[in-house]
Amino acid sequence: MESIIEVRNIKKTYKKRKSKEIITAVNDISFTVNKGEILGLLGPNGAGKTTTIKLICGLLIPDSGFIKVNGIDTQEKRLHALRHISAVLEGNRNLYWRLTVRENLEYFAGNRGKSRKEVALEIDDLLEKFRLKEKEKELVNRLSRGMQQKLAIAVAMLADSEVILLDEPTLGLDVETGYEVREMLQDIVKNYNRTIIISSHDMDVIQNLCERTVIINHGEIVTNDKVDNLLRLFDVRAYTITLDGFLSEHQQQLLLQKFPQLEYIPDTIQSTLKVDLTKSEEIYDLFDVLKLEHTPVESIDKKTVNFEEVFMKIVKGEKQYAMV
Amino acid sequence: MQWFNLFNANIRKEYIELKRYLPNTLAMLFTFYFVFLGMFFGIQVIGDPSVQDINTQYAIVNYVFWFLTIMVIQDIGWQVINEGMRDTLEQLSMSPMGIWKIMTTRLLATTLLNFIIVVFLLFLSMLTTGQWLNIDVGTLLPILLLTLISMFGIGFIIAGISIVLKQVQAFLQILQFILAGLTFVPLTVAPFLAFFPFVKGVDLVRSVMIDGVTLSQIQATDWAILSVNAVVYFVLGLFIFLYCERFAMKRGLLAHY
Repeated sequence: MESIIEVRNIKKTYKKRKSKEIITAVNDISFTVNKGEILGLLGPNGAGKTTTIKLICGLLIPDSGFIKVNGIDTQEKRLHALRHISAVLEGNRNLYWRLTVRENLEYFAGNRGKSRKEVALEIDDLLEKFRLKEKEKELVNRLSRGMQQKLAIAVAMLADSEVILLDEPTLGLDVETGYEVREMLQDIVKNYNRTIIISSHDMDVIQNLCERTVIINHGEIVTNDKVDNLLRLFDVRAYTITLDGFLSEHQQQLLLQKFPQLEYIPDTIQSTLKVDLTKSEEIYDLFDVLKLEHTPVESIDKKTVNFEEVFMKIVKGEKQYAMV
Repeated sequence: MQWFNLFNANIRKEYIELKRYLPNTLAMLFTFYFVFLGMFFGIQVIGDPSVQDINTQYAIVNYVFWFLTIMVIQDIGWQVINEGMRDTLEQLSMSPMGIWKIMTTRLLATTLLNFIIVVFLLFLSMLTTGQWLNIDVGTLLPILLLTLISMFGIGFIIAGISIVLKQVQAFLQILQFILAGLTFVPLTVAPFLAFFPFVKGVDLVRSVMIDGVTLSQIQATDWAILSVNAVVYFVLGLFIFLYCERFAMKRGLLAHY
């Protein structure tokens, strides 16, 4: 697949004003984004997601490394590269609050050198698609946060760029609007053939929308893999075993020796064992221990892992899962 | 064509915002007018009666020009501060046209709109005082154009400083008084001020409006000084602005207010 964004060995540091301490925001990160792909950029607060997004947008200059958008170096030909990118950054949604919905769209199109006439039909189409037609003459400061967010995405769409970067697109939205924005983004990917990079804390957004995810922690990439692969990787190893009765002290010791992270919840009627296996064959070792005292097994459930759990496990330093 | 569309978008935005912030615009006009009335009555009450007319004429030209200077030079600085506060500065920086082009068209747009206001205030001042000045458009226009270009340069320097430092409101307040000094002091007192951004321009405007100097009477050296000032200050201003923009991008200062 042809890549549209290439991030190579990017490093960005900041100097704290008072202490003059050097903070490394991103450290030697490299990844590519394919044309038409929807990539999730994940990481805890301060991990370096927004810095990465701004580096790609050309709003920050890296200390070393390079970024190419459609083959154009963002440092050498910044303005040329910007023709291929639009973004919705975090904050007050990057809109003019004393202009109406339509005026905002027209103004930002004008800032990219387009005339009002040229974009009139496109604006009508976007207003319909984003269900903002009825609000087109409304001042932005009178819109709900969700509508402002939809408008900000519409502004990015109007730029007609191949790549759209979205920094926290569902932040601060209620469940219903968050769902609506998610659907909208799905529609953009499906019908508008754009490449999208989403930075988000909302794991549902990443799990539902993104094919691949890059997880950043402490300014370094800890994982770069398909969402499905990551889910599968953790999914096959997480089991919950329900027992009819208790485990003996001896059994408990043997299991803890073999599986140090095993969780045993004794109960008068049914006890529970929760275990994450490194290899699926290890389940036999577990059964061997149960068989020693003929402990009856009521049920075995393979735990369904959601992406939030996967993310937490990776961020907690389980670097062995990194597949950069 | 892209420049035209950019200008069109920015003048439209400025006009709409001027209308939407109408109370603010009106307050600005009233403030201007009442301060002017204060000056006028001051001249009438405590001024030398033998030079009352000429003093009033000087007051009109200097005060109106000072008002124009403040609006042109400071406006871009305020624009950067406001964009920073509204989180739109980064969005503007992402335009493939380049932020300096957006700011140039903003400057042109606001200057055009402010110029209409200034012309209105000029006629209001003349009507109030009964002192009708020589409005020779053919002579005034080239002088004003060249003077405005040098003002744009200073505007860009202030915009650049605002991008990096953000909180420059106090500096902008002080700047008003510096601009007043440069506008009100005649060149005969300090001839070297001719090489300051707009001082030569205001001096020539005074000559045209008060003394009735015509286009053909203006010396070639005056035109040369005006032109050199225009080019030097504009290029210098743009250079500093672009440098500050790059500096802000290196330090990650574009978004921080």
